[in-house]
Amino acid sequence: MRHARSALRHCLFAGLTAKSSPVDAGRRQARTQRRMPQRQALIAKVLGLVAAIGMTALSLVPGSASALPLFARQTGQNCVACHAGGQFPELTPYGRMFKLTGYTIGERTAIPLAAMAVITNSRVADTSKSDDAGADFQKNGKTVLATASVFLGGKITDNLGAFAQITHDPYAVQNADGSFGAHSGADNIELRYADRFVGPQRDLIFGLSLNNNPSMSDPWNTAPAWMQYVPVPSPTSSRFIDGAAPYPGYAAGGNLAGITAYAFWNRTIYAELGAYGTSRGALRFMSAGIPNEEVTKLRGLNPYWRLAWTREWGAHNLMIGTSGMTARIYDDPADTSDTATLHRTRDLTFDAQYQYLLDPHTVTVQFVHQRSRHRFPASLANQPVAFVDGAGNPLPETSEADSARVTRAKFTYVYSARYGGSLGLFDLTGSTNTANQSSGFSPDSLTVTSDPLAAAPSTRVAGNFSGSPATRGLTLEAFWIPVQYVRVGAQYTAYSRFNGASQNYDGFGRNARDNNSLFLYLWAAY
Amino acid sequence: MKNTSLLLAVLGAALLAGCANPTRSRDLANAGVTAETLAQQVCSNCHGANGNSVSPNFPNLAGQTKPYLAAQLRGFKERTRRDPAAVAYMWGLARSLTDAQIESLAAYYAALPARVQPAAAAVASVDAGREIYAHGVSGSTAPACASCHGADGQGTEAAPRIAGQHATYVARQLVIYRDTDERPDGAPMKAACGALGAQDIRDVAAFVQSRGDL
Repeated sequence: MRHARSALRHCLFAGLTAKSSPVDAGRRQARTQRRMPQRQALIAKVLGLVAAIGMTALSLVPGSASALPLFARQTGQNCVACHAGGQFPELTPYGRMFKLTGYTIGERTAIPLAAMAVITNSRVADTSKSDDAGADFQKNGKTVLATASVFLGGKITDNLGAFAQITHDPYAVQNADGSFGAHSGADNIELRYADRFVGPQRDLIFGLSLNNNPSMSDPWNTAPAWMQYVPVPSPTSSRFIDGAAPYPGYAAGGNLAGITAYAFWNRTIYAELGAYGTSRGALRFMSAGIPNEEVTKLRGLNPYWRLAWTREWGAHNLMIGTSGMTARIYDDPADTSDTATLHRTRDLTFDAQYQYLLDPHTVTVQFVHQRSRHRFPASLANQPVAFVDGAGNPLPETSEADSARVTRAKFTYVYSARYGGSLGLFDLTGSTNTANQSSGFSPDSLTVTSDPLAAAPSTRVAGNFSGSPATRGLTLEAFWIPVQYVRVGAQYTAYSRFNGASQNYDGFGRNARDNNSLFLYLWAAY
Repeated sequence: MKNTSLLLAVLGAALLAGCANPTRSRDLANAGVTAETLAQQVCSNCHGANGNSVSPNFPNLAGQTKPYLAAQLRGFKERTRRDPAAVAYMWGLARSLTDAQIESLAAYYAALPARVQPAAAAVASVDAGREIYAHGVSGSTAPACASCHGADGQGTEAAPRIAGQHATYVARQLVIYRDTDERPDGAPMKAACGALGAQDIRDVAAFVQSRGDL
């Protein structure tokens, strides 16, 4: 139960902050060691299904395969047609129309597959304030194959298209001897139906999206599922890079099963309404690669909504929007027998995006502000905590609910779809909750410890001494796209606050700036 | 798992069977899809639902001459027009169009009314452009624009309509003609704009855009 609780807390916290984190890696590691044979069988089945779908699509219409990724092969266009300045995944106005019309523009491809791989090297500012640097910074300064994905999808019929990503994490499992094992599983998956009624005087796109990740269906890059610095490597290999810093996200996380209906009217108003539930039964493939007892379990259907206004003028376009989701999530994915164990979450997002696209210039400004509330089940609320304050007095009991606010802003310039740079700012604030503390004063010795009940290894690097999640910083990036399927980049992420403090955030003397990280990557797709 | 696969297979087959939709198709490899459908479902994304584009990255097509439109589509399909934007955006979209679709698309856009577009440059620039347009660059023997494109840029059988075209797009094409061989169909333009300097190009492009009310 303790493991399940911490896993869920992490899952929810991850929804509020990073898409993945070192804690997540540890969690995957533990479960993967236990479930490897089952997982391999499941993956084999998923890959079989994927291959079957691929063969079906392949057999329908013959086509010509060329050395280009999936959608580019389908339309015959370059990446810049759909991706602003060639930077994946941010879409141009045309790219948004391509997506909203169900990935159906173009010609069905003979082999509806593409692949992506990322080689990275990251280095954190300080590795000395750790009890076990080898474990805390496992791949620090080492060049690694950080992640790889296979994409399947594209046009299926005049109205039906798909986008499915299977992601491979080479550092998902750490074995007893310290070596790593890989893991592959479902990432973003979407099946989309769309129709468009268009003429000189009107334009209405209507569609349905069956997908596994709230806001994955969204065509703007400020949607929580898409606002990210790409690539995002395995967290094990790059612990404090931007990809592991706070981002807006829906608390229920991914690997769900949901359906949304959307309409885009006169390229001005976009509205979407849907509901998400547990990925199970015929929709179990949406969480492929995760053992059933660890798949997020939602109670019933949980609403998701999105409303956006957009306008294009000249080379400019602007979007202002809002979106949100409420969810009821079982505390223990293996036990859905008692509704008293439900976490109740609510996320409300406000976002805006401006683009200026005129060859050879691409300018993008993005802004997102998300407010989240998380009410804990009774068994987790109002609980005493084992830590005490510096004088030995009891700390406040755990909270009934947490609130958090994440703000992200990013400015990007790309020249000639070849040279680019960006500045991103992030700020997470939230309520202080003693349940968040992973280090504190021991009631016995009044010294700082990460586990007041047992002599567990220190968690000083990931530790939280304040109970506050507040994290703030910035990321600078420069990248070069020598050819459209290769990107070389350098990111520097600097923290002014981490886990609630700028100084001594873990109680063991580690400061926020000690986590500053340099991240170099080589991204390639085929 | 067996039942799940079966269910998905049945569901998939039902969807595949029920989704042929040629009147609202975006299939660029289906000779049965009409030009009007392709124009509205695909071309409109960049060139506008009425043939007038919002972004100056993409040319207006409404009211363009049919021979010019057909020649460009053939140039994209056969990859003889090879300026960067043609390669990035148009080669793929045009690769499987049939001759009949190309002719019909050209006729469709030629019949649409051209947009009235205000001048977006200083009066002095437009006036300077008008002078070049009507009389050519002083000291050059190259013919004036008006001699092929018509007195007001309305286009002729031999040369495209340029009245009301986005100045940014026009200027970019002039540079391509002047400095490269990426648009071999426009060989006469290479000689015609050889004498144009950067400011001349900006001026004449500004004037051309201002001719949108013709």
